[in-house]
Amino acid sequence: MDSDSINTTPSPSANNCKDFSRKKRRSAKLKQCKLDARREQWLSQSAVKNKGCCKEGTNGGDLKQRAQGQTDCLLENLEISRRGEANRGRETGLVKHESDSESLPSNSPMNSILLEGTGSGTSFTNSSSSSSSTSSGGCCSGSITEEEGDDGCLDDWEAVADALAADDDKREMERNNNNRENPFLGSTPEHEQNPQLGLKGEGSDLRNAKLECPRMVQRVTGSSRAWRADDAFRPQSLPNLSKQRSFPNTDRHFGQRGVPWMRSSPFTVPSSCPICYEDLDFTDSSFFPCLCGFRLCLFCHKRILEEDGRCPGCRKQYEQDPVEAEASIQEGSLTFRLARSSSMFARS
Amino acid sequence: MIDFARVQKELQECSKEIDTSGIRVSPKSDNLARLTGIIPGPLGTPYEGGSFEIDITLPDGYPFEPPKMKFVTKVWHPNISSQSGAICLDILKDQWSPALTLKTALLSVQALLSAPEPDDPQDAVVAQQYLREYQTFVGTARYWTESFAKASSLGVEEKVQRLVEMGFADSLVRSTLEAVGGDENLALEKLLSS
Repeated sequence: MDSDSINTTPSPSANNCKDFSRKKRRSAKLKQCKLDARREQWLSQSAVKNKGCCKEGTNGGDLKQRAQGQTDCLLENLEISRRGEANRGRETGLVKHESDSESLPSNSPMNSILLEGTGSGTSFTNSSSSSSSTSSGGCCSGSITEEEGDDGCLDDWEAVADALAADDDKREMERNNNNRENPFLGSTPEHEQNPQLGLKGEGSDLRNAKLECPRMVQRVTGSSRAWRADDAFRPQSLPNLSKQRSFPNTDRHFGQRGVPWMRSSPFTVPSSCPICYEDLDFTDSSFFPCLCGFRLCLFCHKRILEEDGRCPGCRKQYEQDPVEAEASIQEGSLTFRLARSSSMFARS
Repeated sequence: MIDFARVQKELQECSKEIDTSGIRVSPKSDNLARLTGIIPGPLGTPYEGGSFEIDITLPDGYPFEPPKMKFVTKVWHPNISSQSGAICLDILKDQWSPALTLKTALLSVQALLSAPEPDDPQDAVVAQQYLREYQTFVGTARYWTESFAKASSLGVEEKVQRLVEMGFADSLVRSTLEAVGGDENLALEKLLSS
């Protein structure tokens, strides 16, 4: 709604300059405000476009809602609430202006300018604030999407997500078998979302969230389901939640991919280093130094390499002595060389 | 630098499993570098019924270097020196692995008692006897077990008590008794001469 009026502001303001010369200063001031707002809008639009939802910026919330459907429920809710706040704090004339610009998107710039021109000075400040508030709303949506877009390795991330889907399927199957539920019963999201959101918070938090904004919660579960089915909607899901869920699985997955035999014996993973008895961290637990399967922490591994270099499990020599020698000489080839011998370095 | 955290955990693990393994490990001093292990003689061997004390010294590199172990209790065995108690066992030398523990090492020593390797002897005299006069070997080994390994737990304390009553310090008496292999008269001589 407001985005449209912002986009076409400059030309009508120029007309206004001819018709109402005494409004020139005001419109210039408006222009500056709206230019700023427009720049922010562009930023958020480009972020959204990068994500593949090109239609968001072209028209108002109606088309947006139609185009993106469920994915934009959050945004729409934000806008609705924002509009509600604005209506509460605004004069009736301005409410009319808002509704005008909404119902007549093509004429809205002219109308708004005319209304603003005939209105008082406060209407100007209010309209600019409304546009800025809308633009900040756009920023809000943009920030959600930009968090995904800034992820640099979006393709890798998605590949990992695709690969994780199988893992998720398996876990969901187990969970549902435990609960004696249909694994793919989409109509009971409330039952399934608790374990999926377990990382973010406890059940009480979820219930609060549901009370506050039921659609939002539903959208979360829908997206967690949809990111398997439809990747275009997946980044709209709560980014932190998805990332938190994906991190440990990612590590494990890469470890398994690095050493395929680990898939056949996933239960031999020790929780602590058998040498120093310290707990294994994520790096250690994705570290497979020897084909015999004996695992240990990186500190103990390094210590052994400094001495006889034999695996404590099978007493055979670790196979990376020449690699290490080369790595110590050539800094540039360090990661590649080590990636051959130990899957841990493949990630870094 | 000994990994004392690991040693501590090993001792805890070992004390939990005393009932099943029968193997005891206890520190001699506060720094955990010197310990005493006690293994029961394996059933069906001349060492049955005996309780064998093993002196354990942890090197600085433990667990990346093997612990030094030797019998305090006198044993008649081809792979254990009848004089010094030195043990000929590969895992205590080149076949040590940091994945092994004091308990597993002591278990290996216990297994050595039941499976001598006369072809790779520590004590040549015992090995010769084992190969040529096996029954004599069994008799001698049983006699040594009866003499040194059975009474040791009670006997040592009595010896210590008697020597302490003569006016020697408790710790000095114990170390001297250890040095002479538990022989009370030898210990007294040594105490008097020192």
